[in-house]
Amino acid sequence: MKEAGIGRIVFTQEQIQKQVSEMAQALSRDYAGKNPILIGILKGSFYFMSDLTRYMTIPVSIDFLSIGVYPEVTKKTGIVRFNKELDLSITGRHVLLVEDIVGTGLTLSYICQHMEAFKPASLKICTLLDNPSERLLAINIDYRCFIMPDVFLVGYGLDYEQRYRNLPYIAAYQPEKQD
Amino acid sequence: MTFITISRESGSFGEEIALKLAESLNIPLISRSVVMSDWFPEIADKHELHMLSESPRFYLTNSKLDITFAAYLEQRLRDVVARQSVIIFGLGSQIIFANHPEAIHVKIMASTETRLNRLRRIHRLGHEDARRMLQLTDRKHKRYVSTIYNQDWSDLSHYHLVLNTDLLSIDESVSLLRFAFENKHTLTEAAESEEDKTAKAVVFKNDSEQEFAKILDMYGLEWEYEPHTFPIEWDSEGNITLAFSPDFYLPRFKTYIELTTMNQKYVSEKKKKMKKLKELYPGININMVFKSDFHALMKRFGLQKGTDV
Repeated sequence: MKEAGIGRIVFTQEQIQKQVSEMAQALSRDYAGKNPILIGILKGSFYFMSDLTRYMTIPVSIDFLSIGVYPEVTKKTGIVRFNKELDLSITGRHVLLVEDIVGTGLTLSYICQHMEAFKPASLKICTLLDNPSERLLAINIDYRCFIMPDVFLVGYGLDYEQRYRNLPYIAAYQPEKQD
Repeated sequence: MTFITISRESGSFGEEIALKLAESLNIPLISRSVVMSDWFPEIADKHELHMLSESPRFYLTNSKLDITFAAYLEQRLRDVVARQSVIIFGLGSQIIFANHPEAIHVKIMASTETRLNRLRRIHRLGHEDARRMLQLTDRKHKRYVSTIYNQDWSDLSHYHLVLNTDLLSIDESVSLLRFAFENKHTLTEAAESEEDKTAKAVVFKNDSEQEFAKILDMYGLEWEYEPHTFPIEWDSEGNITLAFSPDFYLPRFKTYIELTTMNQKYVSEKKKKMKKLKELYPGININMVFKSDFHALMKRFGLQKGTDV
C-alpha cells in the first residue's frame, strides 16, 4: 500500500516484531505468576496489543478502554470521557496499560487517575512509542519499544484522519497541502 | 469555626466570664468538668479517672486506645472545633491551638491584691489561707501546661487578648470578648468568600494561557495559575531584581508548566530564566510548552463530538 503523503519507513515490520517480541518476553518474566490484566487504549494500540499478548508466554486477561472528548453544555471546550469503560474488575489485580504513543502525558494521566480509584495491586505503563520531549507531566513509563522521532507517523495502529492504521510498518507522513 | 480559649488566674473572674460569654453567644463551653464527666469515662476506669483529676503527669500515660490521655483530649477538642464554635476553658487549649487561624486565645488576669480580696470574700477565708489557695491553684494551672506541653502558662505571648479584671467588670469583659468573637467570625467568612471569588475569577495574561487551562480542565486535572514566584536574581544588598512565575502548577504531578507562545526574542529570555530557575532550585519540575507544541496541542484538541484523544 503506497499512497501520496506516506514517506519513508521509520520502523520496518521486522523491527517492530523484534521489539514487540522482546518486550513480551520481558513482561512474561516480570508478570510470571501474577495473571496480569493488559488494557489496550483504543484505537491506536490495537495491533500492538494483539501482537504483544500473542508473544507473551504467561496467562493474561485482556480488556480495552477508549476515551474521547465530548462537548459540555456549560463550556466552550469539551470534556474527556470514556467511550468504552472496562469490562473486567481491576481491583487487586496487576494492571498493565498498553498505549500506542505517550506524548504530553495528559491522556495517560487521566486514565491513570481513573484506574487508581479502583485500587489495582499495581499499575504500569507500556508503550509502542514514547515521545519524552513532548512530555508535560511527570509519568513513569515502565516499558517502551521505540523513542518517537520528530515526524508525524502512521501505520501499525497509528492513523491520519482514521486512515493507514493497517500498515504493517510505521512510516512518516506528510499531509498533502490543500489549496 | 471561630472559637475562644480562655485561660485564667484564680480569682480573676475567668470562670464567670467564660460562662456568661457562652450564654451570650449561645455556644457550648468545654471545661475540665465536661471532659471529666462526659469524655474521659469513655476510655478511663474509675482509678484512671481519679488519677486524671489529681495528676497532670497521668495525662501522659497511655489509655486503652493506645494513645495518651492528653492525646485523646487533644483529638476530641480538635473534633469539636472543626464542627462548631465553642469556648474552651483551660485544658492547655491555648497551646494545642496555637496559631490556629480561627482561634482567639484569651487570658483573664487581675492583680494579686484584687484576687486575694475576691477569694477572701467568696470563700470566707483569712488573708493567709487565701494567699495559700491562690498559690496552690495558680501552681496547678501552671504545672498542667508545663508538664504536658512543656510551655510557660504565664507567658503572655500565647494570647491574643489579656483582660485585666482589676479594671474591667465581668459584663465589660464579656462584651469585649463577644465583639472579638463576632469580628473574627465576620472577617474569616469574608476572607473565605474573597478566596472563593479569586479562585473563580482567574485573570489570564493572554489567550494561550486561557486555552491551555481549558485543556487541563478537559482532563479534570487540578491546576493553579501562577501560584508561586521564584526569585532568580538579587542585587548586592540582597534585594530581588529578577523573579520568575511559571504559568501553571499541577499539584498532583508537582509540575510547573510555562507557555511560550510569543516571538523568538522573548523565548530566548524565558529559556535563560528557566535555566537559572533550575540551577537555583534543583528539585523543581518544570516543562516549557513552545509555540509549535502549543499549536500542535490546539490542533489536536480542535474538538468535535467523540473525537479520539
